[in-house]
Parts: sequence; C-alpha cells; structure tokens
Amino acid sequence: MDDREVRRVVYEMAMRGGSPPLARDVARVLTAAEDDVVDSFRRLAEAHIFVLQKDAPEILMAAPYSAVPTPFVVHAGGVTSYANCIWDALGIAAMLHGNAHVHTSCADCGTAYEIRVANEKVVGEGLAHFSIPARQWWNDIVFT
Amino acid sequence: MLFFRSEEHIDHWCTTWRMPRGAVLTLETCWRLAQAWFGAPRSAPEWRRRTVEETRAVFAELGLVGEFWELP
Repeated sequence: MDDREVRRVVYEMAMRGGSPPLARDVARVLTAAEDDVVDSFRRLAEAHIFVLQKDAPEILMAAPYSAVPTPFVVHAGGVTSYANCIWDALGIAAMLHGNAHVHTSCADCGTAYEIRVANEKVVGEGLAHFSIPARQWWNDIVFT
Repeated sequence: MLFFRSEEHIDHWCTTWRMPRGAVLTLETCWRLAQAWFGAPRSAPEWRRRTVEETRAVFAELGLVGEFWELP
C-alpha cells in the first residue's frame, strides 16, 4: 500500500466532500483491503500527516480538515467543512485557492464572528492566539 | 489556535483557564501563515512535510521569531 496514494485520496476526498473520509471509503476508491488502508493511516499518523481518533483507526484530523464538528465552520467552493483551529480554517481557503466564509466565535465570550477570504485577501476583525509554543505542538496536537 | 475578538478577551480567557498568554497573530498574519502552510495541495504526489529548517524559514519570513516559535 503506497502511503502517498492514500494521502492523495484522503485529501482529494476531503477537498471535494469537506471532511476526511473513512478507511472503508478510501479502500473502495483504491480497490484495496480496508485493513491495508488502516495500516497506512497508522503510518501516516506516525509521520504526523494525519491524527487518528483515540479509540478507532479512523482519521480525526487531516489538517486543515477536521473529521468532527468544531467551532470553525468553513464554506468554500460550495463545500462546508470543519477546521481544527483558526489557522486551519484559513488553511482550507488557502488549499482550495478560492473565496471562503469562516464562521466562528470568540473563544472567550462566544460572540459569533465571520471572517471572509475574498480574492486572496482576508477580511474581518479579530485575533488568533497560539497558547502552546511551537516546540510543544505535537506533544498533544489535538489540544494545541 | 483559537480566535478572539480582542486582546482583552485573550487576557480574560488566559486568566479564566489559567493558560499562559502565548503568541497573538493578526488575521492578516494568520492568513499569510495559512497560505504558506497549506497553499500547496496535500493531495499532490510530490507533497511532503517541511523540514525543520524549512519551517523555521516560513516562520522567519512572517516575522514569527523568538522563543515561542523555536522548534526542537
């Protein structure tokens, strides 16, 4: 199983459908055994390409995409996605090279905010806060 | 990496949750970081993770310097 092919299919499906796919869906596309795809997911997770769910060999994060709902909803190219954080939300727009609307909220007070990407420029107010120093990001990437 | 409406809200959140105040980026800088990080499609066969040196260069290009942005 070529891990590059698995990565390619995962990202193509995420970009097209808005969410990282399940192993069985990748297996179907590659005409491969699901167990082989799961093994590939694990190798790609060890390489910090994906983050897997804690209790299941499925993708939790294929940055910038989240497989589960988050406070960062991105509408871009007719597709709605959840991003892992504000950086990733803008990352979805960057990856798709198109306009995007990011719906999120202030992590402190919950006030709703919309950020737009239009013609390669970001439009909106607010700030991004990185709590964890860069050298520690992968200590707990989900918390980061 | 969370979104906040203002510096005061960052301060309040850090106090409430007893978290250290880290690095604050404007949306413009965060967007430029996102472009640098995700602009190349990860579906491309030739895509690979950046090396530590390449990552340092991305950070430096965006003015993200100092102890917070140092890598192992």
